[in-house]
Amino acid sequence: MRTYILKRVIQIVPTVLMITFVVFVMMRSVPGDPVVSVLGDAYTEEDAIKAREAYGLDQPIVVQYVIWLGKLVQGDWGASILTGRPVLQDVLIRLPVTLELVVLSMVVALVIAVPAAIIGALRQNTWADYTATTAAMIGVSIPEFFIGVLLLLGFSIGLGGLLPSSGWVYLPGTCPSIVCSASLWGNTLHVLMPAFALGVGRAAILTRLLRASMLEVIRSEYVTTARAKGLSERPVVFKHALKNALIPTVTVMGLQVGFLIGGAIVVETLFAMPGLGTFGIDAIIARDYQQVQGFALITALAFVVINLLVDLTYTFLDPRIRYA
Amino acid sequence: MANGGESFRGALGEAALPVGIAVSSSERSEAPLRQAIRRLRKSTTAVIGVVIVAVLLLVALFADALAPQSPIANDQTQTFARPSWEHPLGSDQLGRDMLSRVIHGTRISLLVGVSSVLLALFVGVPFGLIAGYYGGRVDSVVMRAMDLILAFPIYLLAIILMVIFTPTAGLIGTMKVTGAIAIVRIPIYARLVRGSVLSIKEKEYIEASRALGVRDPAILARHVLPNCLAPIIVTTTLGIATSIIVEATLSFLGLGTQPPTPSWGWDLKANVSFIQANPWLSLFPGLAIFVTVLGFNLFGDGLRDALDPRLK
Repeated sequence: MRTYILKRVIQIVPTVLMITFVVFVMMRSVPGDPVVSVLGDAYTEEDAIKAREAYGLDQPIVVQYVIWLGKLVQGDWGASILTGRPVLQDVLIRLPVTLELVVLSMVVALVIAVPAAIIGALRQNTWADYTATTAAMIGVSIPEFFIGVLLLLGFSIGLGGLLPSSGWVYLPGTCPSIVCSASLWGNTLHVLMPAFALGVGRAAILTRLLRASMLEVIRSEYVTTARAKGLSERPVVFKHALKNALIPTVTVMGLQVGFLIGGAIVVETLFAMPGLGTFGIDAIIARDYQQVQGFALITALAFVVINLLVDLTYTFLDPRIRYA
Repeated sequence: MANGGESFRGALGEAALPVGIAVSSSERSEAPLRQAIRRLRKSTTAVIGVVIVAVLLLVALFADALAPQSPIANDQTQTFARPSWEHPLGSDQLGRDMLSRVIHGTRISLLVGVSSVLLALFVGVPFGLIAGYYGGRVDSVVMRAMDLILAFPIYLLAIILMVIFTPTAGLIGTMKVTGAIAIVRIPIYARLVRGSVLSIKEKEYIEASRALGVRDPAILARHVLPNCLAPIIVTTTLGIATSIIVEATLSFLGLGTQPPTPSWGWDLKANVSFIQANPWLSLFPGLAIFVTVLGFNLFGDGLRDALDPRLK
């Protein structure tokens, strides 16, 4: 097991290198020159050449990438071309916001999906099942930002501003500067709608998958055996059926990570949250090369680490699966 | 990582067999198709999906006739009009009729959704056929290229592609979005088809064709491809739903087809700023996206059940 994890962790390196390199090359093929926006009105050809030299932009792309990589190994993520702020510092400030959003949205997804899927599977073709499957069908068809808009209409406008429509209050202790506010209650109010907006779609996908695999598992012989030997329904459903039904579900949820990253960008944009999603999209649109590299790096890391965790979950769900 | 897709594909691939066995005789190959259509018609949800899709196609085709006003004509005297007979869904900050914008938005959404998936299909399917059929070095070169795209979180790639293409308005702008979404979807088809081909190429009827001296392109086109069709059809229908969401999302982020061309995602985003005073303005483009995606999802689900009843 330990060697397996070690092997997988080593495999992460080429994937992350590849993603960051491709992003590096792609960003530099975007039409336009970031130096132009740095210099603004004071632009002269002479200054532009100097600025390009200062940022190393006059070097060949591969050389630029190797320089970026060399600094990265020493813990230097570079500095924003536009603001001069260290990229790592910005990423670390914004990471907790996105982590909180994503983790809570997964909690929302599980809390909705697991009961819905179990009820749907155990009472197949009853009104309860139809309600669950219809709700799930609607859920997979609504984009996150529209759920967000509906929540805004309901809780920010409809209920007289019960929940704040935008902005952010940090969790106590994560506040990056003296001007921002931090409180547990304020944070909860701010994160509720975004977490639901991001979680509902995931809940719908999870319900559909889990219901289908529960239906398959429930008809299997070992569940019949468990019932026949007199086990009560609860351990049959949770220990025997649910645990096995989760295996294919976890796989597909792992494949959803790419969509989750897009969802986080959209939800953070809609609710004006200072997370990594808004950081990334702003950086890409402004062509802030260094910030985009930082965003690509953290996204690639999250992507491969989550996929590794998904694979490791299998051994917990099915002890027969052993990684040598 | 590919486990889920693998089992899904395997089940569908086998189910497609009856179609393939009868492939040389058009008479006999009709039977499973008719069966599928019969099953599709029996499912209420699938029929609802087909009806939604059909209505949307008609709306897109006849948008000019259906829309009461021009979707791009500004009217400074009619900004933020409340819903009325003149503007059934109200008007936006430039006084443009929202109903007309929603109707015309159908075109962009369907055009991008359908054409991006078809483009991905026409590129990805041949890649998958060739990789699976020839194996060896061809296979590893093609599939490594596909893995390269798959290794990316889909939205990261689509967003950067759109920044490179630089979003514009009109048909050109729409084609750029189509291209960006197609690129991220190509590997889905390549993997799907390659997986089916790997099992099909070992079958006796392929060996028989080879023994008879049929050339590879003919074998691929007439014997291998028809056997991969069922999963391709299902993936395409459900893929249109996904592509429409991706298009709306890119639009929402300001990276889709640019204004004044009406696009649901962009309209929704633009009007969120005015949600306090004009809540309905963001509501209708959002509802339009939802209904469209729902239609294709219902249709696709129905197709999957019809083409492979064992999966139900």
